[in-house]
Amino acid sequence: MNTINAGNITKGSFIIFKGAPVFITKAEFMSPGKGSPVMRIKFKNVQTGAAGEFTYKTGESVEVAEIEKKEMEYLYRDGEELVFMNPKSYDQVSIPMGLIDDQFGYLTPNLKCWIVWYKGSPIGATLPSHVTLKVTESPDEVAGNRINAPKKTVRLETGIEAQVPLFIKIGEKVQLDTTTGEYLGRVK
Amino acid sequence: MVRERVIDTIRSFFKNQGFHEVFTPILVPIPSIEPNLEVFESELRTSKGEKRRAFLIMSPEFSIKKLLAGGIGNCFEITKCFRNEEEASPLHNPEFTMLEWYRINADYKDIMKDFEHLFLRIIGKDKLEYQGEVYDLSLPWPKTRIPDAFEKYAGMDVLKVSDEDFYKIYFNEIEPELLKIKKPYFIYDYPISQASLSKPAKDPRFAERFEVFLGGIELGNCFSELTDAKEQKKRFEAEKKDRQRMNKTEYPIDEDLIEALKEGIPAVSGIAVGVDRLVMLAADTSSIEETMFFPGKELFDL
Repeated sequence: MNTINAGNITKGSFIIFKGAPVFITKAEFMSPGKGSPVMRIKFKNVQTGAAGEFTYKTGESVEVAEIEKKEMEYLYRDGEELVFMNPKSYDQVSIPMGLIDDQFGYLTPNLKCWIVWYKGSPIGATLPSHVTLKVTESPDEVAGNRINAPKKTVRLETGIEAQVPLFIKIGEKVQLDTTTGEYLGRVK
Repeated sequence: MVRERVIDTIRSFFKNQGFHEVFTPILVPIPSIEPNLEVFESELRTSKGEKRRAFLIMSPEFSIKKLLAGGIGNCFEITKCFRNEEEASPLHNPEFTMLEWYRINADYKDIMKDFEHLFLRIIGKDKLEYQGEVYDLSLPWPKTRIPDAFEKYAGMDVLKVSDEDFYKIYFNEIEPELLKIKKPYFIYDYPISQASLSKPAKDPRFAERFEVFLGGIELGNCFSELTDAKEQKKRFEAEKKDRQRMNKTEYPIDEDLIEALKEGIPAVSGIAVGVDRLVMLAADTSSIEETMFFPGKELFDL
């Protein structure tokens, strides 16, 4: 059994909570004015998709879920499931949409992702740290929302919106961070 | 600008009640002792090349207490405070704006009333819509004693709970119950070990300290101030040891403050309130960063 200190739990990792594997969606170290520091986590049960939260003392030991990762390509969405394929064996697996959640907007066909397996079943997918997407809609007006770095909101091929610099035009491709949604650069 | 309006409201709220607005140093030779907080340290050099340690304050409390000992009476301050090594969170910025006020011949329950009225004045109505939730601000707000909360929601005697376990139990068992009410709430009477600057309550195992929250966001921390110099020194020494143990920057105890307490300080209660959080609530933003022109995260690439 692998364990870590609760203080070292990170967003995106998998731990065992009350006997079930959970995916950490938020991990916040908190040090109250008085008293001992704690780690507040939010998680999703990877089997049921149910969300929950819990607070650990930072020194507590927490069991790590023994997961395996395999590289697979995204194919398409089938209702509430996302279908991925192993490009070598052509094996396909489906992952509940709820486990990808807010990252769905970064998925494009043939994108290579890491599928996470736990005890023989796929329980989630880890996207590349950044993806390239085409801009499909962009406002004409130039309205900066920040004093130091004016940006505008554009719509991308997958339907999501992103904040990009004013010089980006329709049809151009931009690189986005899949964790923060931040604009990283223009791709030629 | 919401920030301007909030600060104007705070100022007029206290000035109309005859409070003095005070301005105490941000750069000090000895900052307040708080075992869990890390300080920004700098160095002051004279033209002759002499060196002095210099720190940015984590709170203006020590300076204000010296003024109270000098007889300034009811007073408040809005000032910048600094904390190093803070967790990155929507509620923290390394440099932030703190409001403190001190009411003499008053206890922590009087400060609860001050806070309720000030907050209502800032929001301007008795409902607050914040991030899709509606909070009922009508008075009175629920007030729960810590020992009662631990007994009711966790089935535990808080005096048997170690300081280490306190917040784990609080966040797992108690806070979720308090959040159900959808009102701001006070929790008060902490075990004495969790309140280094506050006066013991009638039951001396507890301290006259409260915290006030809205939707789980801590808005203020108040004490009926400890005025006993001997006891204060004892607690400072214990906290100094805690700092050592936790590998925080070490510095001496503020003997001037102990002296000031010896001179005699009136019965007084005070509170520290994060102004950025008030602005965040009034502006309905999800982080304090969005209320700042130049958030630390952008300035320092955090």
